[in-house]
Amino acid sequence: MHTSFRNLTGKERAAFIGKYLFMGLCSLVALFPIVWVIMSSFKTNAEILSNGISLPSSLSPDGYIAALTISPILKYFGNSVIITVITTILNVLFLAMAAYVFARCRFRGRNLLYFILSLSLVVPTTALLQPVYSVVNTLGLYDTKMGLVLVYTAINMPMSLLILRGTFQSIPRALEEAAYLDGAGFLRTFFQIMMPCAKGGLTSAAVLTFLNSWNEFTFALMLTNGQEARTLPLSLSYFTAQFSFNYTAMFAAVTIAVIPSIIVFAIFQEQVVSSLTAGSVKG
Amino acid sequence: MKKRLFAFALLAAMLVGLLSGCGAKKAETPAAEDGVVVINYPTFQCGVNTAAPVVDQLISEFNETYAGKYQIVKEDVPGDANYVDKIKVQLGTGDLPPVIYGAGYNLLDLVIAKDLAVDLTPYVEADPEWKALYSDASLATNSRDGKIYASSVEGSQVGYFYNKELFAQAGIEAPATTWDELFQQCETLKAAGITPMALDTADSAWITQLWWGAMVATASEDGLAFMQTMNPRDYNTPELISTAEKIQKMLQEYTTLDAIGGKYENAANNFLSGQAAMIANGPWMIGDFSDTTKTTADFAEKVGVAIYPDGFVYDAPIQGYIVTKQDDPKLEEAAIEMVKFFTSAHAQQLGLEMQGMVPASPSVEITDYAKEQYPLLAEFLDKASEATVSTDNMQATMFSNLLDVISQELPRLYSGELDAAGFCQAMTDAAAKN
Amino acid sequence: MRAKKRWIVLFLLPAVILFLLIYAIPLVMVFLTSLFDYRLTGSGMTFVGLKNYVQMFHDPAFRTSLLHTIIWILIHCVLHVALGVALALVLYKKPRGWKFVRTTYMIPNIISNAAVGMIFLNIFNPQYGVVNSILRAVGLERLTHNWLNETATAFPSVTMVWLLFAGYTTTLVLAEALSIDESVLEAAKVDGATGFQMDKFVVLPLLRKIIATTMVMAATYMLQMFDLIYVTTNGGPGKATTNLPLLLYGVYKSENNYGYANTIGVVIILLGAIVMTIINKLFRVNEDDY
Repeated sequence: MHTSFRNLTGKERAAFIGKYLFMGLCSLVALFPIVWVIMSSFKTNAEILSNGISLPSSLSPDGYIAALTISPILKYFGNSVIITVITTILNVLFLAMAAYVFARCRFRGRNLLYFILSLSLVVPTTALLQPVYSVVNTLGLYDTKMGLVLVYTAINMPMSLLILRGTFQSIPRALEEAAYLDGAGFLRTFFQIMMPCAKGGLTSAAVLTFLNSWNEFTFALMLTNGQEARTLPLSLSYFTAQFSFNYTAMFAAVTIAVIPSIIVFAIFQEQVVSSLTAGSVKG
Repeated sequence: MKKRLFAFALLAAMLVGLLSGCGAKKAETPAAEDGVVVINYPTFQCGVNTAAPVVDQLISEFNETYAGKYQIVKEDVPGDANYVDKIKVQLGTGDLPPVIYGAGYNLLDLVIAKDLAVDLTPYVEADPEWKALYSDASLATNSRDGKIYASSVEGSQVGYFYNKELFAQAGIEAPATTWDELFQQCETLKAAGITPMALDTADSAWITQLWWGAMVATASEDGLAFMQTMNPRDYNTPELISTAEKIQKMLQEYTTLDAIGGKYENAANNFLSGQAAMIANGPWMIGDFSDTTKTTADFAEKVGVAIYPDGFVYDAPIQGYIVTKQDDPKLEEAAIEMVKFFTSAHAQQLGLEMQGMVPASPSVEITDYAKEQYPLLAEFLDKASEATVSTDNMQATMFSNLLDVISQELPRLYSGELDAAGFCQAMTDAAAKN
Repeated sequence: MRAKKRWIVLFLLPAVILFLLIYAIPLVMVFLTSLFDYRLTGSGMTFVGLKNYVQMFHDPAFRTSLLHTIIWILIHCVLHVALGVALALVLYKKPRGWKFVRTTYMIPNIISNAAVGMIFLNIFNPQYGVVNSILRAVGLERLTHNWLNETATAFPSVTMVWLLFAGYTTTLVLAEALSIDESVLEAAKVDGATGFQMDKFVVLPLLRKIIATTMVMAATYMLQMFDLIYVTTNGGPGKATTNLPLLLYGVYKSENNYGYANTIGVVIILLGAIVMTIINKLFRVNEDDY
């Protein structure tokens, strides 16, 4: 797209303008919330509740100081990092394995099993609460990071499975067959041939799992009681009680929670795209 | 083949690691000495909750007093609704913490339904000091079928606040003593270009329902009886319909545009920013009047406090601490000691002096120190003592599913889609689902 | 292929164990308890057969919620996915600034829903909200509304809270589109395909499966949509923005009626199964490309 604007015909110019207008609008819509959150973290409670889009009257760090003193946000931040990273790795690994089998191997009951696993996507959370609480308790994982890792790996299962099966399906069979002919076994074919080809899907699944786990609230609340396994979303509840509130601190906490994940996301995407374009396999 | 075995072992190790290994449970109780009974106490009174510093103080005093015997470990469950949600899941699995705070959520009836509440009657009877703290109202709130199951620390006394400056601008000299006068004042304020009331409809419409309940309680004997009923089912009564009509009028004519769909926070902000002249709310709001992130520096001086017309004030103890049945009798004993300590005259006074919380028991003295600290509170308590009618608020007694319904239907009452009778019918229908 | 069989089992094992631990019991419980009178306040469970179902189909609130859920699924599957795919199709050609757009467009999905809800309460605030302020500024005072709290405007307004944030869709489709071999596109170009034709006849068919995936995600997202509605309208005014999860939550939490709540849960699960099957058939997902 490095053609100069001047050389384009009228129709092409319209398309060019339309394209950038569309991109611009999308960015604008997407940036609004984060700008609003960051601005609010510098406003007083009265300003937040009086005029949502006004600029903050000062750039005081009071909100951030309050966020750090009212809630154990840094501790929770560390827990969140550990829990989401382990969850993401386990989830992507386990589900890539399952998805590969669903995409490539024929066995009796394949579609039925896949369908049953996908049903997890639509089980209401309220139905999960008590059984999951009991299971985690029985396993001795109540109030541990691993308890949350287990649950998060599971609740992100159906989505990763969905994404990864599609990814493996779209990799040409010829690649694998060549590998088998070369004498590579099942395991080596999977890890050395298929996994690299599935980078796009693996990243997508990883990003989604990471974000879902990073923001999960209900199970974090139900399955922990101390400060050892609590995650970031819980810290946001410290700032609004029934008759008292500190929105400034809450938005400061939201900012603290969001900025790192945006950075992680941006870096991650960059890595993946460069590796994708390096070796295209699809077509 | 070796490779395969290796892979197999690796996978198995990962699974085992995931399920148990890494999850190795940390020691149940942080550094508990031998013989010390540890009470894990989850509470929503943390973070910005006004009672948080009081609870912290009580815990450290308790741990000092009972050092070597009992120890309370506080577990934060930030957010009232989160606390209730979690307790309910634990109720379902039968795995409750030893002490629960019933608060405004009537957890007591749920715990009793599962037969998990410890009967405190013998313990209260055995301790004259404890027993003296139970007023009739407190007994009503905390016992079922003649047995005491809970112990209150805080009372809920609620009137309304008004902005003296705005009242003066409209030429109003004193808060109204009859409902007609109140509505007249609203007209006067409106004519002077001032929004008379800060109201809300979201989050169970706390402020709006305070006005409604006050009108119901003073409408007639039946109205008062309705307000005193636990879980009333019939909202189709003349008192409720005629007062709902007045609520409709308040929403349509005497409040801000954003009251419809507004939360408590929005209403509070409208009052704190001087945009509305009156707000119905309890003394816990007094601290906000001098909080400069929420209002202007001199706002506290402008605020006056009043009880409702016809000599009405909300006055009821808040449902207190409940001890739940535990496998370990020692833990139950410890929990009972804790509840006694947390609701003692000393604890009630501490709440008053530290955070201006109204004591549950009328026998607790309002100290001079407290009067000096919270002059507006002292003024309110004086006025409240002159009230002729009092009862608990509507929210505390209504079926919990109505808390959502009232929020959903008030906007329709405002728009006229529902008239007062239709609104009361919707409430009655929802109550019938229980 | 004996050895392979063992690998199949081994590869499926972690996923199946996770399913059994977390989902199997609840799934069975939902169906089972929907046949019982089962309450938190009651001491036990009484078998009542299909009574909960009969009650449900006579409940006008259920019919309204079901309808809202279906409408929201359709809107989300069509408009939301189309928006995400369109942006991905623009971005995969790497126009200047595409990386910036790609990253920023994902941001709203990263922010916690509690915050997003508050932002929209502000945008739609009748007094000082952005929407009404703009309308007043351009002299359209008569078009101002209390958007989230009037029966006529609440539904479309709530829809706007999530409709435009298609970051997941764009990310997924873009990742797939970027992995299309350049040579395929070059070949099409040589054949004289214009940009639009190429998107339509070459690129889109290759993205068929990933689009189906995003549609399933969109559908199930709406089937489970709860918190954004809860914080903005709580299902009101009346039942104007109540969907199945909100109805279920009310029955579960406020009425403590677990049997009836799970009856609604069964409907959600069945509806999900139907929607997934339709999408899979529509996009021939189970067929291999190669």
